Amino acid sequence: MTPETVSALALSLRVAVLATTLNALVGVPLAYLLARRRFRGRALVDLLVTLPLVLPPTVTGYYLIVLLGRRGWLGAPLYAATGWTIAFTWYAAVIAATVMALPLLVRTARAAIESVDRDLEKAAYTLGRSEWRTALEVTLPLARKGIIAGLVLAFARALGEFGATLMLAGNIPGKTQTVPLAIYTAVSTGEQTAALALVAMLTVLSCVVLVAAGRLGARAA
Amino acid sequence: MSARLDVRIIARLPAFTLDVTWTAGDGVAVLFGPSGAGKTLTLACLAGLLRPDAGRIVVGDRVLFDAAAGIDVPPQARRVGYVFQGYALFPHLSVADNVAFGLRDAPRAQRTDKTRDVLRRLGLAELADRRPQELSGGQQQRVALARALAIDPTLLLLDEPLSALDAPLRRALRDELRTILRDWGTAAVLVTHDFTEAYRIGDRIVVYDAGRVVQSAPRAELLWRPASESVARIMGIRNVLHGTVVKATADRIQIRWRGQLLEAVNSPTRSYLPPPESPIAFFIRPEYVRLIRKDRGAADPSHHMNLMDGVIVGEEDFGTTWSLRVRLSEAGEPAQGDHDLEVEVPHLVYEILEIDRDRHWQFSIHRGSIHVLPA
Repeated sequence: MTPETVSALALSLRVAVLATTLNALVGVPLAYLLARRRFRGRALVDLLVTLPLVLPPTVTGYYLIVLLGRRGWLGAPLYAATGWTIAFTWYAAVIAATVMALPLLVRTARAAIESVDRDLEKAAYTLGRSEWRTALEVTLPLARKGIIAGLVLAFARALGEFGATLMLAGNIPGKTQTVPLAIYTAVSTGEQTAALALVAMLTVLSCVVLVAAGRLGARAA
Repeated sequence: MSARLDVRIIARLPAFTLDVTWTAGDGVAVLFGPSGAGKTLTLACLAGLLRPDAGRIVVGDRVLFDAAAGIDVPPQARRVGYVFQGYALFPHLSVADNVAFGLRDAPRAQRTDKTRDVLRRLGLAELADRRPQELSGGQQQRVALARALAIDPTLLLLDEPLSALDAPLRRALRDELRTILRDWGTAAVLVTHDFTEAYRIGDRIVVYDAGRVVQSAPRAELLWRPASESVARIMGIRNVLHGTVVKATADRIQIRWRGQLLEAVNSPTRSYLPPPESPIAFFIRPEYVRLIRKDRGAADPSHHMNLMDGVIVGEEDFGTTWSLRVRLSEAGEPAQGDHDLEVEVPHLVYEILEIDRDRHWQFSIHRGSIHVLPA
């Protein structure tokens, strides 16, 4: 294995793990709110979260540049204040993977939360539990199968993210080049052996994740 | 009986308005009426799970809701136990953890003691470590009851607690539930659409129809004196009939019906004096119609009140009783489709009188068994 292969693999894993963690922290509360609360702008939030699922990844990547690039809505003030920009760093790869994976988690987790009998939550309220405690003790534990399934999908999506990552993080070997980008580069430069090695590794990794998730899901049931 | 419960609720929902006022003392108040009448909605308001648009809810000396004063105690602070229709037991917790769920704020030792005590009192001690899915319907119902009672509720709400069970179990648990509620002494509100259940369990019955209360009365009063024809129909009373007033006095009402002159008792406490020739509704309980035995000589009109002739045109076997459809020997359209009166006789009477062979009978109804329904 070349140093580039090793670093691509390490980066891909790091990006996927971090993106999945961010998904859990942001996506699960979001899924709960969309499933259980009626608030202003709910339809808009729903639309924004779902959009990356239907837009071409390059379009999502473009919007992320508009938002976070050095001259972006958020990126420009950040650059002015710190002289640092997120674009073309490995953080950008995490952001891109997070945004692309979010709809998969939110949709799956939301469906699971919605399928929890509301009478169970009402029962918890009459037994003295706040909405917050009820979500933690009743709703989310009962929706855990769907939430785990959503996290697996999010992880897989983050691992394989290509288009939006290329737009926002670029394809810098040893810095922002994840496995999918490395495979593309290897194939386009005729390095068939390197491409095959990476493809095999990604395939094995995906299979391992699926099997592990299946075990986890079965235990949660 | 002190007025433990004082309820006035106006809740406007899309396509439905609940507008009810009733009070109840200690014991069990039953909300009775057809599906969709607003009974469960009332429970949700009592528990604080639904906020009424107007009204006031008082339990004992605690004001739980008062729209005018801006009081709305959240469900967490109401101490109202709620037994849901499907029981709503937490499937991921054991029976003991379900029951202990509402005792989280108590010290651990006290929580354990209380849980054990409640489980024992409801005969659930053996099942403490089971999951709800492993229990029978009757056991689940008792766990739901235990969980609601464990918080020492000031008010207990039960939504169709028996409807998920099969008929034989239902009957047994109906009486068991009544005993538990009496033993525990907690003021309770129970919702049902089954009148037998309402009558067996309730001290007071509040009759709901289309988002309103049509009658609220102690159970015996409701059974014998429904306030109107619509209440009688909701209760499923048979032989609700329409006649014309001949004469009404404080203690008697004469009614013309199907060519007969019927005499009924007017209620001494609720004298109803409709003018002559006005339409009047009344009912005759099928089990209170007497058949005149033919082996004892001719019927004596001075002894047998409200005597009439009729033919049995149909019958149904209900296992312990026969329901006979009787058509009077009188020209004109029968009062209830193919018949005028439904008459219920026990199997023994049916066999002794050989009703299966003899279809022509004289019937008599005591004036006390004809119940006038005020318009």
